[in-house]
Amino acid sequence: MSADVILVIVVATALAFDFTNGFHDTANVVATSISTGAARPSVAIGFASLLNFVGAFISISVAATVAKDVVNAEVITPTIVFAGLIGAIAWNLVTWYFGLPSSSSHALIGGVVGSAVAAAGLDAVLAEGLVGKVLIPAVVAPIVAFLVAGLAIGFSYRVVGKQRPGIVTRGYRYGQIVSSGLLALAHGTNDAQKTMGVITLALIAGGKLGAEADPPTWVIVSSATAIALGTYSGGWRIIKTTGTRIIKMDAAQGFSAQGAGAAVILASTHFGFPLSTTHVINGGVMGSGAAKRLSAVRWGVAGNIVVAWVLTLPAAALIGGLTYGFTRIFGTGALGPVLVTLMALSLITAAFARRARQGAPVEAVGG
Amino acid sequence: MIATIVQGKALWQTVVASVVAGLGVTLLFSLGIWGTSQFVELSRSDRQLAASAAGIVAALAFLAVAAAVIIGIVVMTHK
Repeated sequence: MSADVILVIVVATALAFDFTNGFHDTANVVATSISTGAARPSVAIGFASLLNFVGAFISISVAATVAKDVVNAEVITPTIVFAGLIGAIAWNLVTWYFGLPSSSSHALIGGVVGSAVAAAGLDAVLAEGLVGKVLIPAVVAPIVAFLVAGLAIGFSYRVVGKQRPGIVTRGYRYGQIVSSGLLALAHGTNDAQKTMGVITLALIAGGKLGAEADPPTWVIVSSATAIALGTYSGGWRIIKTTGTRIIKMDAAQGFSAQGAGAAVILASTHFGFPLSTTHVINGGVMGSGAAKRLSAVRWGVAGNIVVAWVLTLPAAALIGGLTYGFTRIFGTGALGPVLVTLMALSLITAAFARRARQGAPVEAVGG
Repeated sequence: MIATIVQGKALWQTVVASVVAGLGVTLLFSLGIWGTSQFVELSRSDRQLAASAAGIVAALAFLAVAAAVIIGIVVMTHK
């Protein structure tokens, strides 16, 4: 009975994380379209929300990586997964509050790794999967997006540079509808799968699924729904940071950045790499800005984002580890997770209430 | 050991696919915009044959972009 209660809490928490992931991350997907005038905010967000939902059904390779290749499922319990999720949600909310586009994916993986290490020591971590499928792609992917976007915008300016600006701008704005759609689809498939993977890991740990099982259909549908609803609900602060504060971009740059981001995320998803979509799209945005003029990129803001990226894995791991330690004060039953859930809900409510009182979005730190 | 940890082949394929798709689609789309712009310009100056050629280039480029997007999604769904 107690185990089932914990499992229900884990699934609910994972879906809440998925919601915050959409809330937090998808601003990255729509920011460039909004800042270049390619789409009105309400249309861009609605479109991104729909395509995030669809994207979640495309593949399960990333879910398999998260469920089986990062931590040792044999030593994982649902409470460990729960503590990891709390670490990720807490870090997501902190960075959302300050308007920093950090990585929800790395927060999730950091949280789960931190709680697993706190519970079972370093043996709980599968170093091969963590390094080979998470950490190295995490470094490589934004660099590739940076280079592809930079080269693409360079070639594009050569092709259309002597044409009438009106036709060119309108053309790339139409193109951005497609490229932002692809990016939303890519986001949905890579990020929703992380939640599917975590829920699957908890179900395996709770004995509800076999060790090699794929995510059940209800997990896929609920993860797709949660990320789509999250996308529709929020993200305005981070839109401001990504869309206008890194660079002031034109429609061609927006198209190149989104195209590069979508290509990198979709290719990585195909091979099961759980990327940070935030890192990749920001890499693309910076690449398209730097190719035009190095000084066009506001490197101070970009530096703050990099700091947030670097902090994400250890910070989420620390919170995840501490959360696991706290739940164990109350034994191995459901009391610890229930108390932590109540505390987390109180904190989240307070954060939203404070934001609502503040009204206008907060400027990104150090901008 | 290092080679095992670094998923070299998959990572390399990811990089190549990203570069080909990201650069290719942007270039083709730019070619489509160039063709459209030329079509409008040439049509205004009554050069119908050249305008038609530019229009065909634009149409083919946009079709290639659409094909690349569809192929990309189909590849994603078949693993």
